Amino acid sequence: MTGDVLVRGEGLRKRFGGIAAVDGVDFAVARGDLIGLIGPNGSGKTTLINLLTGHLAPDAGTVVLGRATVAGAPPYVFAGLGVARTFQLTQLFGRMTVLENMLVPGLTRPHSTWPGAAARARAYLDFLNLSHVMHLEAKNLSGGQQKLLELGRALMLEPTLLFLDEPFAGVHPHLRDELIKRIQELHASGRTFVVVDHDMESILRIARRLVVMARGRKIADGPPGDVRGDAAVLAAYAGLQ
Amino acid sequence: MDYLLIQVTNGAIIGIIYALIAVGVTIIFSILKIVNFAHGDLYMLGGYTAYYIVTFLGVPPLGALFLSMAGLFLFGIVLERLFLTPLYSDRTERKDEYGLIVTFGLAFFLRNTALIVFGPFPLRPPSFVPGVVHVGGLAVTNDRIVAGAVGVLLILALLYFMHRTIWGQALDAVSQSRDSAAIVGINPRRFNSLAFGVGAALAAAASALIAPIYSLSPGMGVLPNIQAYVIVILGGMGSVLGSIVAGILLGEAEGLFTAFFPDPTRALAYTNAFGVLVLMIALILRPTGLFGRRHVRME
Amino acid sequence: MRGLHIYIALAVAVLSLVSARTLNAYWMHVAIIAMFYGILASSWSLLAGYAGLFSLGHMAFASLGGYTSALLVQWYHIPIPLGMAAGVALCTVAGGLIGWVCLRMSGPYLAIFTLGFSEIVRIVLSTEDQVTAGMAGLHTAPLFRAPTDLPYYYTAFGLLLFALAVLILITRSRWGLFLRALREDEQAAAACGVAVARFRILAFAIASGLAALAGGFYAHYIGILTPSLGSLDLMAVVVVMAVIGGMERIPTAVGGAFGIEVLQETLRAYGQWRLVLFGIILLLTMRFARNGLLTPLWRLLTGIGEARRPAPAPRGIGPEGSRP
Repeated sequence: MTGDVLVRGEGLRKRFGGIAAVDGVDFAVARGDLIGLIGPNGSGKTTLINLLTGHLAPDAGTVVLGRATVAGAPPYVFAGLGVARTFQLTQLFGRMTVLENMLVPGLTRPHSTWPGAAARARAYLDFLNLSHVMHLEAKNLSGGQQKLLELGRALMLEPTLLFLDEPFAGVHPHLRDELIKRIQELHASGRTFVVVDHDMESILRIARRLVVMARGRKIADGPPGDVRGDAAVLAAYAGLQ
Repeated sequence: MDYLLIQVTNGAIIGIIYALIAVGVTIIFSILKIVNFAHGDLYMLGGYTAYYIVTFLGVPPLGALFLSMAGLFLFGIVLERLFLTPLYSDRTERKDEYGLIVTFGLAFFLRNTALIVFGPFPLRPPSFVPGVVHVGGLAVTNDRIVAGAVGVLLILALLYFMHRTIWGQALDAVSQSRDSAAIVGINPRRFNSLAFGVGAALAAAASALIAPIYSLSPGMGVLPNIQAYVIVILGGMGSVLGSIVAGILLGEAEGLFTAFFPDPTRALAYTNAFGVLVLMIALILRPTGLFGRRHVRME
Repeated sequence: MRGLHIYIALAVAVLSLVSARTLNAYWMHVAIIAMFYGILASSWSLLAGYAGLFSLGHMAFASLGGYTSALLVQWYHIPIPLGMAAGVALCTVAGGLIGWVCLRMSGPYLAIFTLGFSEIVRIVLSTEDQVTAGMAGLHTAPLFRAPTDLPYYYTAFGLLLFALAVLILITRSRWGLFLRALREDEQAAAACGVAVARFRILAFAIASGLAALAGGFYAHYIGILTPSLGSLDLMAVVVVMAVIGGMERIPTAVGGAFGIEVLQETLRAYGQWRLVLFGIILLLTMRFARNGLLTPLWRLLTGIGEARRPAPAPRGIGPEGSRP
C-alpha cells in the first residue's frame, strides 16, 4: 500500500454475545483509494465500518486516524477529523427539511456560518439533483432520493474519507447509475471512498481495490482482477451464500 | 427477631403481588411494544371494582376478585381499542412518543376520575377469611395467606395459559415476530387486545388481593407501577418466572429495609423511595435492556 | 404581511403590559399563574418537543428551585432574587447531571427514570418535614409587599419574556437544529458531527434551570410551598398544556399553557372534574390532532410570511419529485 494512510485499523475485534462479528482485522485506507468492501451477509462489513467511524468501540485493536489514536472516541470526533458515513438503512432526519438535513453537518464544522453552510448545501443539492425538493421534509422523498440526500449530508462534512454502507440497495437502476457517476466524480475530485454493497456489478464498476470479508475475517485484499480469481473468495461465497 | 420474621413474610407476599403487576406490564410490552404508564391505575381500578362488587352486590370477596378481573379484562380491551390502535398503523409517526403520552394521559385521567368517583379517603374491603394464623411464634393474618396463595395460583394459571394453550402460544408467537405470526395465519391485532386485557386483569387481581391488607386509595397505583418496572428490569427478561423471582426479591428487600431503617417514623416513606432508587440504579446499569429482548420498535 | 406572527406576538405583549392596570385582582392572579405555567410548558417543550427527551421530572426541578430559594431566604436571610438565582443554579447543575446519567436512555426508559427521580424528590420533601414542613406547607417570604399583585404581574411578565428569549434564541440557532436532529435520529446526528452527549446535557440543564426559575417565583408569590408542586398531577397538567398547544414549537406551547390556565379558572366551579376534562382533551388531541391544536394556526401565521420570501420552493411535489 502506497501513499499516505488516512485510517488504519489494527487487530480489530468485536464480539456480540458469543459471536465474533469482527475477528482480528487489519484494514488501512490510503488517500485516493476507492475500496469495494464485499462479503456474504453477516461477514462483519457493517461492524467494521462502525468500528472505523466511532459508532462501536472495539474489544481489542486500535484505530489510528492520521496520527491520532481514536479507538473508542465518539462518532463526532471521527466526523471532526474528516470521516463521514452513510447507513445501511437510510437514517435521515425525517421531519426536517432536505436543506435542514444538510445544514446539521454543515454547522458542526468549526468556524461555519449559517449563510456559508446554506450556500454549500445548495451547491451540493444542485450537484445531486435535489434542489427542487429542498424544502420538503426528508421523510417524503423517494428511496433513491433519500440515498442521495444521505450522501449529500455526508459531503457537508467536507470529509476526506467516506464510508458508504450499501448505497445501491433498493435504488432504482436509473438513479443507481447517477449515484455511481457522482461517486466517480467525487473520487476524481480527491475524495477517498469505502463502499459496501451486495451489488457486485456496481462495485466492480467503481472499485479500484477490493476487500473481501467472511466470518469476521479479511480473506482477500487487492486489485479487483486478482481478487475475483481468488480461490478463498470463491469458496467463501459458495459456502455461505 | 419476630419483627424481622414478620417483615420477611410480608415481603414475600408483597413480592408476589408486585410480580402479578409486573407480569402484566411485561405481556403488554412484549405485544404492543409500549411501556404502559397507566398500569398502576388499572391496578387501582381493579381494587375498587372488587370492593364495590362486594359491598353492593354482596358477592363474597373471592368471587368479587374474579368478577373484577373479568371487568378489567373488558375495560382494558375497550381502552386498547379506543386509544392504542394508532400504534399498529403505518401512518402513525413517532410511536414511542404516542404510546408514552397516551398511556400517561390515561393514567392522569383514571386517577382523577377515581378521586371524584371513589373519594379521597382510603377504603378497606372485608377480609377474604377473617382471622389470624399462628405459625410458631409468628402471627400471620389469613388475608396475607390468601393474597400470597391466590397470587401464586394466578401466576401458575398464567404460565399454563402461556405454555399449554393455543391462545397463549399464539400470544408468544406474536410477541416474537408480528410478521411471522401473521404469515402463519394469526391475526396480530386480536392479540393486542388480548394482551392488554390480560395485563389489566392481572393488575385487578393484585389490587383486590392487597386491598384488605393495605386499603384502597385513588393514588395507590403510582408506586406499584414504578415497582413493576424495577421487577421487569431486574429479573423480568421478558419472562414470567424471572418476574416472580425478582418480585419476591424486591418485596423482601423492601421489607428488610423497613425493618432496619433507624427512624421508624420515616421508615415507610423511605421504603417507597428505596424501591424507586433501585429502579433508577437498575436503569443506569441497563439503560436499554428493560425487557431482555432489545427494545424493538414497531416502525 | 411578512412575519405576521411577530407582530401578533408584539401586540399581545404590549397589550398585556398596558392593560395590566385594568385587570381586577382575580384575573391578575390568573394571568400571573398563566405566565408561570408558560415558562414551564415552553421549557418542557425544549426537552420533549425539540430534543425528544420526554422527561417527567420537570416539576421536580420547579419544586427543588422553589424550596431551595425559600429555605435559603429563611435560613440566611439573603435577598429573594439571590435565593431564586441559587435555585436556578442548583437545578441547572442537577438537571445537567440527570441529563448525563441518562445519556444512554431513550423514549420510555428516560420517562421512567425521570418519573423515579421526581417521586424521590417528592417523597424526601414530604418526609423531611422538620426542614420543609412537609405537606403542612412551608411559609415563604413574599417577593413584594404591595397592595396589589401588579409588581408580581410585571415580574412574571419579565421572567416569561426572559425564558422565551432564551428558548427562542436556542431553538432558532444551530443548537436548535442539532437538538431536533438528536430527536430524529441520534446515531445519524452523531455521524454528522453533533456532540450528542453535550447537547443532551445542555437541553436538560437549560430546561431544568428555567423550571427552577418558575418554581422560585411561584414560591415567593403564593407564600406557601408544598411538595405537591412536584406531583405527577401537576406534571401532567404541564404535559397537557404543551401537547395541546403543540410541543414542537415554543410559542404554541406557551399558547397551550395560557389556554388551559384560563380554562382551569373559568371552570373553577367544577373542581376536580377539570383535571378529568384535561385528561380527556389530552387523549383526544393525541388521537386526532397529534401536532397540537395551535400548530396549524401558527403555521398559517408564519406561512403568510414565508410565502413572500424570494424564490419560493416548489411545493406539492410528489415523492418522486418528477411532476411533469
